[in-house]
Amino acid sequence: MDVLTRNNVKVSGAGAQPMLFAHGFGCDQNMWRFVAPAFADDYRIVLFDYVGSGRSDVAAYDAARYATLDGYADDVLDVCHALELRDVVFVGHSVSAMVGVLAAKREPERFAELILIGPSPRYLNEAPEYVGGFERSDIEGLLETMDKNYIGWANYLAPAIMANAERPELGAELSESFCSTDPVIARRFAEATFYADNRADLADVRVPSLILQCSEDIIAPREVGEYVHRALGGSTLRQMQATGHCPHMSAPEETIALMREYLSRRNGD
Amino acid sequence: MDDLPCGIVSFDDTGRVVFTNAGLRAMLGYDAGELEGGHVERLLTVAGRIFYQTHFFPLLRLTGSAREVFLLMRTKTGADVGALANASRTTRGGETMIDCVLMEVHERRKYEEELLRARQAADRANEELAAHARALEAALDREREQALEIELQTQHTQDQAAELEAQQEELQAAYDQLLARRDELEAARIAADDANRAKSQFLTTMSHELRTPLNAIGGYVQLMEMEVQGPITEKQRQSLKRIMSSQRHLLQLVNAVLDLARIEAGRLEYRLEPVDVEAMVAGVVPMVEPQLAEGQLKLTHSVEPGLCVRADREKAQQVLINLLTNAVKFTPEGGEVSVQARVDDSSRLVRIEVRDTGIGIPPEQLPRVFEPFVQVPSQERREREGTGLGLAISRDLARGMGGDLTASSSLGAGSTFTLALPRA
Repeated sequence: MDVLTRNNVKVSGAGAQPMLFAHGFGCDQNMWRFVAPAFADDYRIVLFDYVGSGRSDVAAYDAARYATLDGYADDVLDVCHALELRDVVFVGHSVSAMVGVLAAKREPERFAELILIGPSPRYLNEAPEYVGGFERSDIEGLLETMDKNYIGWANYLAPAIMANAERPELGAELSESFCSTDPVIARRFAEATFYADNRADLADVRVPSLILQCSEDIIAPREVGEYVHRALGGSTLRQMQATGHCPHMSAPEETIALMREYLSRRNGD
Repeated sequence: MDDLPCGIVSFDDTGRVVFTNAGLRAMLGYDAGELEGGHVERLLTVAGRIFYQTHFFPLLRLTGSAREVFLLMRTKTGADVGALANASRTTRGGETMIDCVLMEVHERRKYEEELLRARQAADRANEELAAHARALEAALDREREQALEIELQTQHTQDQAAELEAQQEELQAAYDQLLARRDELEAARIAADDANRAKSQFLTTMSHELRTPLNAIGGYVQLMEMEVQGPITEKQRQSLKRIMSSQRHLLQLVNAVLDLARIEAGRLEYRLEPVDVEAMVAGVVPMVEPQLAEGQLKLTHSVEPGLCVRADREKAQQVLINLLTNAVKFTPEGGEVSVQARVDDSSRLVRIEVRDTGIGIPPEQLPRVFEPFVQVPSQERREREGTGLGLAISRDLARGMGGDLTASSSLGAGSTFTLALPRA
């Protein structure tokens, strides 16, 4: 099974330098639909799904490999190797921000920039000082909700999605599988994400990075963004006006503008 | 809207609440106007908020609707309320709005939790079964391995058994050979015994047959010497003397041959008893006195007093006579013969040495003197010829009594013959 099929890799764009988009927990590459096209003229756009998400090959899922974020970093590097990507602008949302950090730690020469949207190196609070935002009971509640929603999501098949094609503002292309289709895999991804602790990995990364911090993001609150900024050498922190955790979906224009501004400054335009 | 049997909430993409109905407010314990303008996340537990940000909102944003999504709502007082949500994201009058209908799911929630538990239990049971199956498989593999081992060992044992059988057959064959050999030896022994018996029989017969005519010859010669049958001339007397001499010689020869034969047949009986050496020596000296006188030889004897040997008296004397006669025979005129007896170093034997001052025996001939029919050539030999059997018989007799007869000599100085006998 080759990586491009395994990870449902989609390559587009007219540019030379690759821009690799990594989706966050709970979704797939479709979440970049409002942002990625804006960079198609200047970059080579690479989209993919982690194994177990979207339209990746579920048969390739290995519980041991994907029990930690290192397994997901392996997916990122596998895609880079398969396409022989160099000088990569990595765009990662939520947990993928940390996945990018881990990948850049392993192969720093491969990445030119890291763009991290709503990053958090650890979601659980750690007394006495570290505020990740959550207690263990909160995560357990999340897992329960996810478990319950499997029963509901059994109905989320093609017909329901197709019906929404009538709504033009959503765009014509819709993937047949939205979010994680396998509840067990989804649950394990949740555990890998919310029980991770990658604070120590931040200091090892020297690739220049942009941190996009949302307002009122309970999943990546301001203190966490500032923590990442302090620990990540060569990082730039940009406070967004967008609220919530998904600015690339709720406020795509602001997201695109901030990314463009950062990249042109970095390239000396 | 307020009369509808469900909760309704509308909010925009930023999550700002625009509308709530009475049903929703009643579900969560809020008054009118409390929620509008605030964030929809306020209505959710922390878990619900994470789920909203990671699943619910993206679902709405990308597909425009969400159906039967379970959410954990939070009442004003902080209690949990489970609800099922149906939502749509639409654009109305230029504005994008998310409308969400919520229904509490008490019973359904319990039912779902049961199902979930059952499913998880089934999954665990499956895993256990799988683990058991693996363990069984492993055990089976081990069994198979052991069976194979046993088979190999059995084969090995069988091979060993076959080897043992082969060895046993060899042993049996060897045994059979031994039995055959034993039978052969038995037959040979019987044959030997038969031969011996035949020989003895022959000896007895011959002894009688030979002596009888010899005695007759002796008898009649004596008769004539005594002039019983008339006077005899001097010339006749000389002839008779020669006849008698030959008869005696023949008799000696016959006796010696028969003795030797008897010794070899093991037919000789030894009557062992304590014998006083001095007495024995003194007893045999007179027998050689005629010869001593003839050769003008001197005889000395010295024996430790009280010395005793365990021997057959007659045969010991026979040996001594033989040695003395030889010594006398081979000592030139005016020479000396001596007899000495002493205890040997081991003090278990008595050595009786008969020494002459004759010409001695050449070293290369010394070992051969005890062989039958061997006579050492000597220039000083007397006229009387021996049979050549004396020393052979003497040594056999000495050995038969548990002793031995040995000789030593120096050319020109003489010889010493030593009879060793067990001390009594």
